[in-house]
Amino acid sequence: MAIDKIQSQSINLADNFAFTGTVTGASGVNTPNFFVRLGTNQAGISNEAWTKISLAHEIYDSDNAFDSTTNYRFTVPSGKAGKYFFEFSIFGKAGDNDLNRIHCRLYKNGSTILAGAENDWTNQAFRNAQMYSSSGVIDLNVGDYIELYGKLFHTDDGQFLGSGNTLANTRLIGFRILE
Amino acid sequence: MANLSTKIKMYAAANGVAEVDFMKDVMLQDDSDGNGAYIKEWNLDIAQPTDAQLSAQETAADTEEANNQVRSTRRTAYGDIGDQLDEIYKDIDAWKARIKSIKDNNPKS
Repeated sequence: MAIDKIQSQSINLADNFAFTGTVTGASGVNTPNFFVRLGTNQAGISNEAWTKISLAHEIYDSDNAFDSTTNYRFTVPSGKAGKYFFEFSIFGKAGDNDLNRIHCRLYKNGSTILAGAENDWTNQAFRNAQMYSSSGVIDLNVGDYIELYGKLFHTDDGQFLGSGNTLANTRLIGFRILE
Repeated sequence: MANLSTKIKMYAAANGVAEVDFMKDVMLQDDSDGNGAYIKEWNLDIAQPTDAQLSAQETAADTEEANNQVRSTRRTAYGDIGDQLDEIYKDIDAWKARIKSIKDNNPKS
């Protein structure tokens, strides 16, 4: 029979407890949380311009806090300020051997807050496509918003890839850290 | 239509600036709202170009982008620099003929 009531005097907090059943209601949940990605390839990427990723495909969005139709941004809902973990990646592609460099960044309220990895393949062959990921923790207040931007250095047909399975390609994942 | 970055490079070159670093000299941004890329930050000493000044660079920028594609195609066809050194060592005339053929088959504008 599950214990549904404990009087405070009956537990010694210095004791060890080896539960073999399931403890419910003893922890919080990491909400808001979301996972969004590109639904289709985002083409026509201007060379060397920071370009907002149009993350229109939601895998999940616990608090409906991600705008996946207009501004493609996560906005901290009322009562949900705190530290947030974000993981983001972009998969860039260009024409045959036309992709030289790739960068990705998270913007907080329109300014860079986290920069992703970068590399330069200008003098290497087979520069058709490349993926980069990064992650970090950001302190956010109610109303703050987060957007994913990418930059491609290419000579032809730059695009961010969005097709494929749900875990790959261009995406943004985030959740609030319990404190 | 040429990329904004290429037109800015052409404008800068015409005003005495040989290199533009798009990570610090000029920051371009596209908010994916249908309005295209724009200049978000301008940190060069020369004046930020007007729309008309950028439009004036359209033809030169188109040519530059076409030539960039030619350069990329040539670079791939040339092959690994180590392999080329080996080619030169073995038969420099054959190497020169191969490079010339690549250039002839991929002319710049």
